[in-house]
Amino acid sequence: NGQTAGPAVKKRKNKQRVLLLSSRGVTHRMRHLMNDIEVLLPHVKKDSKLDSKSQLQLLPELADLNNCNNTLYFEARRHEDLYLWAAKMPNGPSIKMHVQNVHTMDELKMTGNCLKGSRGLLSFDKGFDETEWGKLTKELFTHIFGVPSTARKAKPFVDHILTFSILDEKIWFRNFQIIEKDPLSPNGPPQTTLVEIGPRFVLTPIRIFEGAFGGATVYSNPEFVTPAAVRSAVRREQGKKYNLRKD
Amino acid sequence: DDVIPTQKVEINNKVALSRIRESIQLDISLPWTETLAVSYPHAIQVDVNDDLSRELAFYKQALHSATHARLLVAKSYSDFPWTRPNDYFAEMVKTDVHMERVRQKLLDEKATIQKSE
Repeated sequence: NGQTAGPAVKKRKNKQRVLLLSSRGVTHRMRHLMNDIEVLLPHVKKDSKLDSKSQLQLLPELADLNNCNNTLYFEARRHEDLYLWAAKMPNGPSIKMHVQNVHTMDELKMTGNCLKGSRGLLSFDKGFDETEWGKLTKELFTHIFGVPSTARKAKPFVDHILTFSILDEKIWFRNFQIIEKDPLSPNGPPQTTLVEIGPRFVLTPIRIFEGAFGGATVYSNPEFVTPAAVRSAVRREQGKKYNLRKD
Repeated sequence: DDVIPTQKVEINNKVALSRIRESIQLDISLPWTETLAVSYPHAIQVDVNDDLSRELAFYKQALHSATHARLLVAKSYSDFPWTRPNDYFAEMVKTDVHMERVRQKLLDEKATIQKSE
């Protein structure tokens, strides 16, 4: 990350580029979420769908070809479950998360708007500093979601804020527009207000691997239940009702 | 929520996690304006199922961080371009067509409320 050996006069820069891609089988909602992320982060390079879900080791190579030092990989399963891998390239770590409660920017409820390519603030709540996995996640998210000033398509101004909050062992993502003038008294003193832009989603961390898309597991979430297991439990419960009635 | 999690082997290798974090950490001499990351000094503690108070907690976090960052810029990075000049026009994240639909929906909602009154 931008550590140029040379005269110390040169200003140090945060150099990040993120490769964004998905697996096959993403639904329209998942695709829209990816588009939202692409439009918010000007340092993202989007690539075409990855052909095989079993060949994740291709991803570091792909990132290298695109000069990216981070990867966001959306993995769709059964056309309904979505997983997100956030990984540092080329040596890791990688965090695998389950994505739920997706609302995209297309929804008309969220009335905010911001410049395309403006640099967003990042806000992390205190929950990230309380665990080791939280601290690591915060560091990695700072690399991935922070727009570097050097990004080619970036606009220098700040007009929105991305928030990450830990609640119920999950990471909640929100994006707000920052308005500095009070719409009720436009000539009064500047008063900061926020309007939500979207998207919204919730991430449940599943595992953290030491390497890039592989390597030793250094964290696993004991609370995580796969969505397939949840669904089959619901079905079993319904089946029980039927059996009782039948007997 | 009826599923009882089966006993899984928990892995939480704190030593490795902190070593990995140190290996990827950004140079601490980087000025704050390179990352624009702010820490909120409180943890979010609300009922997850209470949508209203949950969203309010997120809003408060964002507002606190935004004001904090604004003050920080005013105090320590006075040449940092924060506000967009009034004559700076550029493409927005949501298109004009989309924003018009948002506005129309708000108007429609208002109209329905008035009708029902």
